[in-house]
Amino acid sequence: MVSQKITVTNEQGMHMRPASLFCQTMTPFASDVKIVFNDTTFDAKSVMMLMSACIKCGSEIEIQCDGPDEADALKAAIELVESGLGD
Amino acid sequence: MHKGIAASRGIGIGSVCLIVEHDLSYEKKKIEDTAAEKARFIDAVERFKSETMEMAEDIKKRLGPKEAEILEGHLVMISDPTMAGEMGKMIDAGQCAESAVEAVCDMFIGMFSKMDDDMMRQRASDISDIKVSLLKILLGITDIDISKLEPGTILVAKDLTPSMTSQINKENVAGIITEVGGKTSHSAILARALEIPAVLSVPDITALVKDKDSAIVDGTEGVIYINPEGDVLSKYVLMREDFIRKQAELKSFVGKPTVTADGESVELFCNIGTPKDAKKAIECDGEGIGLFRSEFLFMDNNHLPTEDEQFAAYKEAATIMGGKPVIIRTLDIGGDKDIPYLGLKKEENPFLGYRAVRYCLGNVDSYMIQLRAIVRASAFGKIKIMVPLVTCVEEIKKVKELVAEIKKDFDEKGIDYDKDIEVGCMIETPAASLIADLLAKEADFFSIGTNDLTQYTMSVDRGNADVAYLYSTFQPSVLRSIKHIIECGKNAGIPVGMCGESAADPLMIPLLISFGLTEFSVNPVLVLTARCTISKWSKAEADTLAAKVMNLTTEAEIQTLLKTESKAKE
Repeated sequence: MVSQKITVTNEQGMHMRPASLFCQTMTPFASDVKIVFNDTTFDAKSVMMLMSACIKCGSEIEIQCDGPDEADALKAAIELVESGLGD
Repeated sequence: MHKGIAASRGIGIGSVCLIVEHDLSYEKKKIEDTAAEKARFIDAVERFKSETMEMAEDIKKRLGPKEAEILEGHLVMISDPTMAGEMGKMIDAGQCAESAVEAVCDMFIGMFSKMDDDMMRQRASDISDIKVSLLKILLGITDIDISKLEPGTILVAKDLTPSMTSQINKENVAGIITEVGGKTSHSAILARALEIPAVLSVPDITALVKDKDSAIVDGTEGVIYINPEGDVLSKYVLMREDFIRKQAELKSFVGKPTVTADGESVELFCNIGTPKDAKKAIECDGEGIGLFRSEFLFMDNNHLPTEDEQFAAYKEAATIMGGKPVIIRTLDIGGDKDIPYLGLKKEENPFLGYRAVRYCLGNVDSYMIQLRAIVRASAFGKIKIMVPLVTCVEEIKKVKELVAEIKKDFDEKGIDYDKDIEVGCMIETPAASLIADLLAKEADFFSIGTNDLTQYTMSVDRGNADVAYLYSTFQPSVLRSIKHIIECGKNAGIPVGMCGESAADPLMIPLLISFGLTEFSVNPVLVLTARCTISKWSKAEADTLAAKVMNLTTEAEIQTLLKTESKAKE
């Protein structure tokens, strides 16, 4: 498993559109993708779970990827969050 | 008469169609043939998706992509593995489809409605819409076809679901009344986009009306009348005509230059609070930003925003405005605006205390961060710096020195910026007004802040009900002050704008035209109204009126005269 911590910087945080963009990007990867926030782990391939985490602008999250393409998945996830999640 | 929330302006008169709530109860039973039940469930989900997709497409075509976002959100949510997936699992375990839908939706509704975030709570009502739609499909309930209502219908419902609103059109729905929902609810947004008058959150309204009752919806004031008396009805018929005429008149000003009746051009800018509001300014036909309050960057934060964070925000606004002026007011805290992490001391007289430019010049290190961010962003548009609460010449001089220092540093480092970036004064204190001639030699422009200027000139705390009667920009003292500031600006050859609420006031506009104001900065939604008012006055007429006004001795006389003269212009 690989993981990395990152701060969410887009203004809206993990609202509908950013969360759905995140899921769409992660779903094609074979690896499991999870987000750890406030000591709780959320399935990052589910929009509902991501939104229920209530991740806001300024929140620090940890992205965990586990599976055959974990390195690529993590890279894609980090780039997406860094780019502001399409906001 | 019943009161509610004014959600969409205008007046609707017509006959009530009451949308009754359907009975969504069902019998909870143990399912033997789980495969058949699963198929029934999957069919329902597919039907929900195709109907929702169709509605989203239709709304996109009729109203634009933004209005369709909520429905597209419904599609994303129902397609999520944890929604349909969880429901499917429960059905596999022997639950009926209805109870699986209800259980999973209720779980998410409970989760989202507890969150301390408005946008997230809105998701709870989305999921509730999805639940109701799915249950209706499963139970074989069909809604009445709103697109086929008689013209002149007033829709009354507990709440409008997106599927209902998507069928509403202006041709047959004259007004909307609901029992729940606020200004930002889906129903309100659609009603405004469709320009249908709407009053929401009217208590118990579905129990108070029946089909074919006559009703008046006043979406401007947020009141409704059921079976009104003849005189009320005739009054509202006139008001409706008036409203429609004025709306048509305002629309004729879209995309037009802002000119007085004798063809003199003035600038019509917008006041904004966040970079995103700049989009609104463009949508509303604003010609620039006359006041960008930078406080939001500091208030919606738990730390002093870094240079990069501020730069990104200023650059965004400048880019959105595409070369049109963006006047950024540097940090204006203190007074009634506190920012906890700055650790400001409690003061006995905060309005006379350590605030705005006084605080900034007392904390030069953090002020430099803001000034650097603004100067950097000036490479991406026409940015100007505005200093709030100036009371003496040293303050504007000092800020100009800091800006010069930054420019020198940027030149050495090869950082791009606008070499002609202007630094202006906000004139909002009696002190600044009295030395406006001196300040005009230092400042590149003036912008009059009428709220503070009125408060300080009249020595009135506008929050204090006992003295609030004195708080009026039409007080002779305040008008004299405004006139003097504009004249000092004119004499020195610098532009003078106004960014307080008065700049959009139809009673104030003729006086400002006469005094020679060059830039009016207003709330984006008031751009067209202000442009319309400005177009009605020639300089000569405004001068005649202003001469009379400046000879009057009381605020009441001034208001009366201005009201009479403005009425004649309508």
